[in-house]
Amino acid sequence: MATTVEAPMVGKILKIEKQVGDHVEEDEVVMVMEAMKMEIPIVAPVTGTLKEVKVSPGQAVEAEQALAVID
Amino acid sequence: MDTWTFGWTLALIGMGGTMLVLWILSLLILLLKKIFPHRPGQSAAKKG
Amino acid sequence: MESALISGLQGLVIGVTNLGLGHVIMILIGSGLLYLGIQKGYEPLLLVPIGFGAILVNIPLADMMENEGFLRFFYDAGVRTEVFPLLIFVGIGAMTDFQPLLENPKIILLGAAGQFGIFLTLLLALAVGFDKLDAVAVAIIGACDGPTAIYVSSKFAPHMLGAVSVAAYSYMSLVPLIQPPIMRVLTTEKERMIVMGLVKQPVSKTTKILFPIVVTIFASLLAPKGAPLIGTVMLGNLMKESGVVERLKSASENEIANIVTLLLGLCIGATMEADKFLRGQTLLVLGLGFIAICLDTAVGVLFGKLMCLATGGKINPLIGAAGISAFPMSARVVQAEGQKYNKKSYLLMHAMSANAGGQIGSVIAAAVMLSVLQGMGIVGG
Repeated sequence: MATTVEAPMVGKILKIEKQVGDHVEEDEVVMVMEAMKMEIPIVAPVTGTLKEVKVSPGQAVEAEQALAVID
Repeated sequence: MDTWTFGWTLALIGMGGTMLVLWILSLLILLLKKIFPHRPGQSAAKKG
Repeated sequence: MESALISGLQGLVIGVTNLGLGHVIMILIGSGLLYLGIQKGYEPLLLVPIGFGAILVNIPLADMMENEGFLRFFYDAGVRTEVFPLLIFVGIGAMTDFQPLLENPKIILLGAAGQFGIFLTLLLALAVGFDKLDAVAVAIIGACDGPTAIYVSSKFAPHMLGAVSVAAYSYMSLVPLIQPPIMRVLTTEKERMIVMGLVKQPVSKTTKILFPIVVTIFASLLAPKGAPLIGTVMLGNLMKESGVVERLKSASENEIANIVTLLLGLCIGATMEADKFLRGQTLLVLGLGFIAICLDTAVGVLFGKLMCLATGGKINPLIGAAGISAFPMSARVVQAEGQKYNKKSYLLMHAMSANAGGQIGSVIAAAVMLSVLQGMGIVGG
């Protein structure tokens, strides 16, 4: 079942740590976002394969916006 | 007034007063939000 | 001719011969503050002028804090009249976004709990023998807010202004070191792991504009002696939220804040004259100030636990630590700590609400304190 990684808050994507196709463990950092001038690691909610990355570095995101899909 | 009457009075009323005033403020915020609820698109439509 | 040469030369030597041990120590302390500001980056905007002011005022015979001295001029004009801290408050109001708090107003109570260190420290200060008003000045370090501490101590204990403001500003920058151990000791593993969902309560523009006006009226009515503090912060915020006086808002948070910060820092440094600063009392002030901030954090976290219980485990008690005025350092500490225990925990926005509450809380606590003092007849008004 596909799981969406959602932005936990308003902010900006700084860097993407994983490539599409990579295996990710639960709690592993998928990307890093910036909010209130602070770097916040976004972790994988489940173990699986990174199917899709929907954002790119520098992009502003809203809370709950879909960032990536893990299957 | 002796030191300890002073100290305890200021400490107790101070803590209670701070809590009370901020609690009232939180109620006022809730009231403001009730009277002027957010409508989607409002920020774009209404300026100033 | 010969004697004229000698007396002329004496003018150049007399400063050195008048240099006492106290001056030397204070010059070293001033240099230490400069080191912390420049090399370590602790609040450089304040520590650089404070440190330099401390050096200047301890040069023998320069008389900068005597009548007609240039530091005395700024001190009398801005600190004794309390104008400088108030101008800073306008800038703070113009910079602060209260949106996270408006979205989640219940959290404001954490901002009250985060001030309890002030009042608990008052009792400690009285216990170790401080006079009533001196104890008030020591306690206000617990507001964890520079301008509030300066405002209150310049009113009640101007001779302690240097120690109080140095303590307030240095502990503020040490918040990331002071808070985490306390947060860990007071919470259970399970509490620290609580995930708080998004708050989805958008706030209308009307509410954001009315908020500073309503706060000013109600809070000042309840604590009239604090009206200058509350009023200036809220004026700044109204200018920001109304969006119609962009120029005034920008001047308040840039030019005015910068000029006043420079002069205020110099004046605080200038209160650090050797005979006033080099006392056992100063060490006590620094020690009690540290305890005050620890107590703030502890009570904030404990109140967070209470709210956690009351809401059936929906609130992570860690955010209670952000109920102090150190913005946004404290909220960042909470985010970092929370994610240490649960990678999927994003507390930043909730902590920001508490932190904004702490900013209002510190001003309200000072206002309440001033009004209670007035009520008890300790200060006139």
